[in-house]
Amino acid sequence: MTETFSISPRLFGPLGFFAGLMVLLAIVGKVPISYNVRNLLVRWRITLMTALAFTLVVALMTVMLAFVNGMYRLTLGSGQPGNVVVLADGATDELFSNLGYRDTSDVERHPGVLRDDKERPLASWEVYIVVNQPIPNAGDGKRKRRFLQVRGLDDPARAGAVHNLPLHPGGSWFSAAGVQPLRGDVGGEQAIQAVLGEGIARELGKDQGRDSLHVGEFFEVGPRKWVVVGILQSSGSTFDSEIWAKRQIVGPMFGKENYTTVVLRTADATAARETAQDLTANFKKSAVQAQVETDYYEKLNTTNQQFLGAIIVVAIIMAVGGVFGVMNTMFAAISQRTRDIGVMRIIGFARWQILVSFFLESLLIALVGGLLGCAIGSLANGWTASSIISGGQGGGKSVVLKLIVDADILLTGLLFSLGMGCVGGFIPALSAMRLRPLEAVR
Amino acid sequence: MSPLERGALWWERFTSQPLYVLAAMLALLVVYTMGVYRKQMWFMLKSLRRNLLRSILTSLATVVLVLVVTLVWSILYFLDKATSEKAKDLKAIVTERWQIPSQMPFAYAASLSEGAAARPTDVRPDDNMTWQFYGGTIDPGKRTRENTVFFFCMDPRKLLTMMDGLDELTLQERSDLDHAIDVMVKDKRKVVIGKDRLAAMKKRVGERIKVTSLNYKDIDLEVEIIAEFPDGRYNQSAIMNRDYLNDAMDDYNAKQKAKGLPTHPLTMKSLNLVWLRVPDTDAYQRVADQIMSSSLYSSPAVKCETASSGISSFLDAYRDLLWGMRWLLVPSILVTMSLVIANAISISVRERRVEMAVLKVLGFSPGQIMALVLGEAILIGGLSGAFSSGATYVLINQVAGGLKFPIAFFPAFLIPEDALWWGPMIGIGTAVAGSFFPAWSARTVKVSDVFSKIS
Repeated sequence: MTETFSISPRLFGPLGFFAGLMVLLAIVGKVPISYNVRNLLVRWRITLMTALAFTLVVALMTVMLAFVNGMYRLTLGSGQPGNVVVLADGATDELFSNLGYRDTSDVERHPGVLRDDKERPLASWEVYIVVNQPIPNAGDGKRKRRFLQVRGLDDPARAGAVHNLPLHPGGSWFSAAGVQPLRGDVGGEQAIQAVLGEGIARELGKDQGRDSLHVGEFFEVGPRKWVVVGILQSSGSTFDSEIWAKRQIVGPMFGKENYTTVVLRTADATAARETAQDLTANFKKSAVQAQVETDYYEKLNTTNQQFLGAIIVVAIIMAVGGVFGVMNTMFAAISQRTRDIGVMRIIGFARWQILVSFFLESLLIALVGGLLGCAIGSLANGWTASSIISGGQGGGKSVVLKLIVDADILLTGLLFSLGMGCVGGFIPALSAMRLRPLEAVR
Repeated sequence: MSPLERGALWWERFTSQPLYVLAAMLALLVVYTMGVYRKQMWFMLKSLRRNLLRSILTSLATVVLVLVVTLVWSILYFLDKATSEKAKDLKAIVTERWQIPSQMPFAYAASLSEGAAARPTDVRPDDNMTWQFYGGTIDPGKRTRENTVFFFCMDPRKLLTMMDGLDELTLQERSDLDHAIDVMVKDKRKVVIGKDRLAAMKKRVGERIKVTSLNYKDIDLEVEIIAEFPDGRYNQSAIMNRDYLNDAMDDYNAKQKAKGLPTHPLTMKSLNLVWLRVPDTDAYQRVADQIMSSSLYSSPAVKCETASSGISSFLDAYRDLLWGMRWLLVPSILVTMSLVIANAISISVRERRVEMAVLKVLGFSPGQIMALVLGEAILIGGLSGAFSSGATYVLINQVAGGLKFPIAFFPAFLIPEDALWWGPMIGIGTAVAGSFFPAWSARTVKVSDVFSKIS
């Protein structure tokens, strides 16, 4: 919660600017604010419609930013700073990596790699596979297939320790055999034991008309039946969308005999960086590409950045539309109150005080619209959505993410709204300021 | 394709869609009405001119918001089209059954290209194309996205018959591409690359490049760029004659064998995709059955699906994003537009209550007054919408070279010709929605009330 409602320092500047501006205008403006508020209330329909336009733009922007925020949090939450990911040299993604065990087995003997209580290196040998799976009971006009991410592991408990992913109570890691009898009879058909991420458990559960799959339940992937033996506490990471199973079974079944990835646990971020650099430069048996796990996931942010860019463009274009709307309202307000302005000028209010008064009025509309937009947009907090994260060079991971509306996003929406109010209100306020008193009262 | 042929194609497409015909008839009706009621039209224009600033601001708001809707709908339109099942002249994709990326032995290519037809009664596809993906960098010391290139290795002769979107080329573009294909067939080292990829690599037509492979490790190829793709969807693409890759693989394996070393790890995995063109859904079903039931493709197993179904699978990861664009973003923009127009028309009606009362005194019926107010909104919405979609069409397609939005493997989205009628329709629709209540309020102006207030 603390993290959700902390404000990043880069927003302090604009926030201070707008807060200061509004306070300053309220203090120096001699025209009472109640005059503006009453005018807004008298023209409540137009005020409401203008504020609603702000509300829609801000609410939409909040939802879109929450989506990208969720993607960023997901990539950030997936990597451990002390882990090193080893891929084949040249591979841009786990999907395209191909590591021969014979050539690369020594990487886990690197002195930087930590050891468990049995003195085994804390290394997870993995094969990452994307399976194209028909969706059971897919109706007409609905999607027929989906991509499932399967991670084959040699030692699931060690992989869990390396990735810092414990199981939910009641579950267990898959056995050394990786299979169990489907119907209780040992000689009969065998089901592949699987550990699921929470997100994929929910997704597969929907196929069977339930909220989620649970331990002991069955599903189908590829040509075999699978049984859930454990659910990972994987929320907020890309592992949430993965199925873990015995590598020796799933690798050959889906045509990947070799490993794709080795993940090594080191003492800390510094040790991880040193180990990664050393392996990349000095591991001679086979060319490998080692990188700190957080760096690897950082590179998968390319899609996020592209989405963010698109959102910014859409938000700006919509904001321009909103600005024209508020300009219309403020020009109309001025034309309706031309006599008021003339009277105020005659009784001694200065030009700049008229400007401040109308400027403040447009900021008030923007503030109300923005606050309402933030409130509506914040309802999206916690929604789940599917997306993809990738480094932009093929591959990538399909993920289920949670939309996160945090303080930064709410503030960005509010500042955006105030910015629109500022731009849209300033020109009409200038025109109000330029009215000549005698002409205005005629 | 000549301008005449393009025109004929456009007319055929236009008349085949009832909605387009309806829209055209509606437009004609509007023009006719404008002719009949030209006095009223003149009156509306004068009313809009009276507060030119407000009309311009409303118009500008409509223009920018129609712009966003046009962009979003263009993406959705393209994706809907790509994923909707066709009944005639459809394409099928054959890939590895379970795994992504699909990697099959190249030995599958010959029989799969024939749709696994073994008996004389079996159905054979009308056309086919194989794809092998070869990715590499021209600067192995410092690989970046800019210096990386991915080739579709294929039979160059299939380029014009099987690749999407190349059937709308101009005569000159087609002739250039034909020539490039002939050269590629004669010399397998020649390649064609899209202009954006060439620009990213800082290379030009005529240059030779050495590509250090990323996926085919140790098989590095030297190629000569002989042409660039016509401007459009292939701006980031590159194609190479498949024989070049396959011969290089054979050479590599022969050397390995001579040294007693294992063959290349991708030897039995070099075929990624086979495209088949079939005349209709029945033919597709039969070809798919032939392939799926054939014993030739057991390790790995293969699957055959329509191109639209295959693309749908790739878009599955984006389904929530696309849902949000379709059902959150677009409706919100349309409501915002309606609000902006409603605001402007409300203000206008409020300021002109005396005028409305005078019109009533002069004999205008409430319905005519309402029509005048609605007409003003429709005029401003329709014209602004038409301008916006037209400008978007020209700017995105002719100037920007497409809308670059990161969805699946589509490098850029073009604004369809249909967008030219979306704009005015959106403008008119939102104008009617936004101005209905203000127009109703104008209709119900009471003459006695207005004049009593004045007096």
